[in-house]
Amino acid sequence: MSTQRLRRAAITGIGVIAPNGQRTDAYWKSVSEGIGVLDRITREGCGHLPLRVAGEVRSFDAAALIEDRFLVQTDRFSHFAMAAAALALDDAGLGSGEPVDPFSIGVVTAAGSGGGEFGQRELQKLWGQGPRFVGPYQSIAWFYAASTGQISIRSGFKGPCGVVASDEAGGLDSLAHAAGAVRRGTDTMIVGAAEAPLAPYSMVCQLGYPEISTVEDPDLAYRPFTSKACGFVPAEGGALLVVEDEDRARERGVPVRATLAGHAATFTGASRWEESREGLARAIRGALDEAGAAPEDIDVVFADAMGVPEADRAEALAIADALGSHGRRVPVTAPKTGFGRAHCAAPVLDTVAAVLAMEHGQVPPTPNVFDICHDLDLVMSRARPVELRTALVLSRGLMGSNAALVVRRGGESAR
Amino acid sequence: MTRRVAVTGIGVVAPGGTGATAFWDLLSAGRTATRGITLFDPSGLRSRIAAECDFDPFDHGLDPDLCQHADRYIQFAAVAADEAVRDSGLDPGSDDGWRTAVSLGSAVGGTTRLEHDYVRVSEHGSRWDVDHRAADPKLHLAFQPSTLAAVVAERFGARGPVQTVSTGCTSGLDAVGYGFHTIAEGRADVCIAGASDSPISPITMACFDAIKATSPNNDDPQHASRPFDARRDGFVMGEGAAVLVLEEYEHARARGAQIHCEIGGYATFGNAYHMTGLTTEGLEMARAIDSTLDQARLDPTRIDYVNAHGSGTRQNDRHETAAVKRSLGAHAYDTPMSSIKSMVGHSLGAIGAIEVVACVLALKHQTVPPTANYETPDPECDLDYVPRTARSRKLRNVLSVGSGFGGFQSAVLLTGPGGRTP
Amino acid sequence: MITTEVTADELAVLMKKAAGITVDPQELKRDAESPFDFFGLDSLGLLGIVGELENRYGLSLPPDSERCRTPREFLDVVNSTLKTGA
Repeated sequence: MSTQRLRRAAITGIGVIAPNGQRTDAYWKSVSEGIGVLDRITREGCGHLPLRVAGEVRSFDAAALIEDRFLVQTDRFSHFAMAAAALALDDAGLGSGEPVDPFSIGVVTAAGSGGGEFGQRELQKLWGQGPRFVGPYQSIAWFYAASTGQISIRSGFKGPCGVVASDEAGGLDSLAHAAGAVRRGTDTMIVGAAEAPLAPYSMVCQLGYPEISTVEDPDLAYRPFTSKACGFVPAEGGALLVVEDEDRARERGVPVRATLAGHAATFTGASRWEESREGLARAIRGALDEAGAAPEDIDVVFADAMGVPEADRAEALAIADALGSHGRRVPVTAPKTGFGRAHCAAPVLDTVAAVLAMEHGQVPPTPNVFDICHDLDLVMSRARPVELRTALVLSRGLMGSNAALVVRRGGESAR
Repeated sequence: MTRRVAVTGIGVVAPGGTGATAFWDLLSAGRTATRGITLFDPSGLRSRIAAECDFDPFDHGLDPDLCQHADRYIQFAAVAADEAVRDSGLDPGSDDGWRTAVSLGSAVGGTTRLEHDYVRVSEHGSRWDVDHRAADPKLHLAFQPSTLAAVVAERFGARGPVQTVSTGCTSGLDAVGYGFHTIAEGRADVCIAGASDSPISPITMACFDAIKATSPNNDDPQHASRPFDARRDGFVMGEGAAVLVLEEYEHARARGAQIHCEIGGYATFGNAYHMTGLTTEGLEMARAIDSTLDQARLDPTRIDYVNAHGSGTRQNDRHETAAVKRSLGAHAYDTPMSSIKSMVGHSLGAIGAIEVVACVLALKHQTVPPTANYETPDPECDLDYVPRTARSRKLRNVLSVGSGFGGFQSAVLLTGPGGRTP
Repeated sequence: MITTEVTADELAVLMKKAAGITVDPQELKRDAESPFDFFGLDSLGLLGIVGELENRYGLSLPPDSERCRTPREFLDVVNSTLKTGA
């Protein structure tokens, strides 16, 4: 009887559409240099709302990246997703349209805010003009599944397709779904999240979160781990990855940028941040277990960095609980303070930053954060050069999910 | 690691009755629960009929906060989950919460509440720069899709992986499928899995009007949902929820639990064809069926019943008929295939889970539920659709299949006692 | 009385607006017997065009209109409806 080698999920392509960079190189430049792009919200109809600061994806030219026939039937969140997916496919050398078995490539995305701008426009037609004015695309643009469906159709991918509709941690859960699909036999998965929550009604819907920052100064609005922490700043945009069976990637002769080595998720309830300490610590241990990694193997932590004092404390303690004394020494960073939290896309953008950090041997800094009140080695001000083999990405959601992901640099294997 | 996954509890809130008993009474009698819309004034719409739940949250022991503030689809899910957990005999307090997962699906989530508040903050659709001061302070709970899974997780102290799945009209099947994977691959021992939707609202009805997907048979609502019948004219909107307790087989055995059946396999594929359209070949759904059979190492001839997506649109019924023939071959003609949407309508994301529960009950009662209203055969749909009357039959392996906007094609295989070859 | 007629030029504009399909009006006239698929227009796109026209002229087009296979067929149905004011 032959023993089959466990199929491992490798990241071979990255596509980013983020407030601080459209395309991966632009994103890394901003992240590694700690450039902050948080700013006053400029989108139409939002100026009067008490939520003033966000990470906007500005001068995004959807028409240059996506065909009109897709544009008319989709919301901005799907535009970001389709654009990022195309970039990721190009990066993985799958963009040329070489014939592949369509069933060998699947798509899974996470979504937490759906097609809010499109939905608001159609609601306005319905209630302002009448039901006959609702267009034929409302049924496919507003719902959470829109991006997965459109990516699958646009590229002809018929493999397993899925959608995690979730709070922030769902972004990491989507990566776990992709890794699971690869382990179960699918060659390649397009996976990630993109969000567009900065439309007027969507923003009104978010005002009830006690964790959201309403501070008006962009430099002061999102400062996790400091004594001035006053909540998080939302953002739009996201990232899609190409994840494929590692052996398959080697056969194709494309570089394995990193592997998804371990993931675990727990739940401890909405806004009960103190309890997230145990939940997050358990998720970290679970992810390390699955990766076959010891705490000391973790070379960098990409923190959730909620920016709420109790949440920050719980996260710092969870890192200490799960990594022991190593937790005080390991560099921790939160580049998202420079561009905001794009809901489900936030931990996917962190995962991208982790892969790039390992490739460049640099831990990027945490913009706008200068003095912290927790026992963490938070990297601030400028990037720190360190050889990085294994990264830990953490995420918690506003409804109480906690998730941890261990990512290994390409070419590294479990001890 | 692949572990066996048992179904040890079921609960349902469906049009025509709350609870598994009332639900099965309706299905086995072939009664329909479709009627003129009462939840709002539907004048001006093309399709003004739906399968509504007669549901008062105060009748079901939910706490006042849930009754007064939670969205209807959350209330459905809480009631269905209560019944499922009760049915399973699990004591959620005594079990290890960290080993308990939740996987719930919904296609449109809090849409109904979002629309309700939108009307206020936009002054009846008159302004783009909506007025936040008129919004409910808890509106974020309607906006946030994972409220569904979070509320149910809180209810039973589940602290393992908790997620909401939203793959359009296959959400229910996929949520059960994700729960199956979660247990089979060792991430949890128990999973509360299912789906809920309450989409009967002006915006959802209007968006299906716009693509003429729903039935305009407003004069005869009881007979409006006619899957596979040559005179079908679209689906009838529904609402509801269903929840299953999935449990690792040995975990269930060790506590002496009743085992309704096992999940034998699950698969989903995209058709990469069209967001709302379906091919006439049914290749991708067939692939999903084939994959579930492979996972269970089951020959197609051992399928005893197919619970169809059967939405009652012409393209669906032909697509699905072709898919089942492709997978089951000549055996398709000997296999009853029915659509309970003829009775309880199409509750978008919820229906997949409701149909899985219908399959669990079919196995339990060894009875195939009928396709109500089926009278006039369509020459292109030539399988045995179990017209109007339930049928006793030896059932061991049953399939539930579904299609969703976005191109999703999913299948779940359930195996009863004696269903699987060891 | 309505005397308007929907022309191939207007249909081209509607195809762009409702379905994101760019088609040269001359080509649309020349290939008016070709199926909508040929121009890349799908069923949802045609439904969108039907909705636009119904709202513009304040009338219902017959159910046949959204099942039309070609631009010629579609314009004939639309214009005969406009003429009779049905």
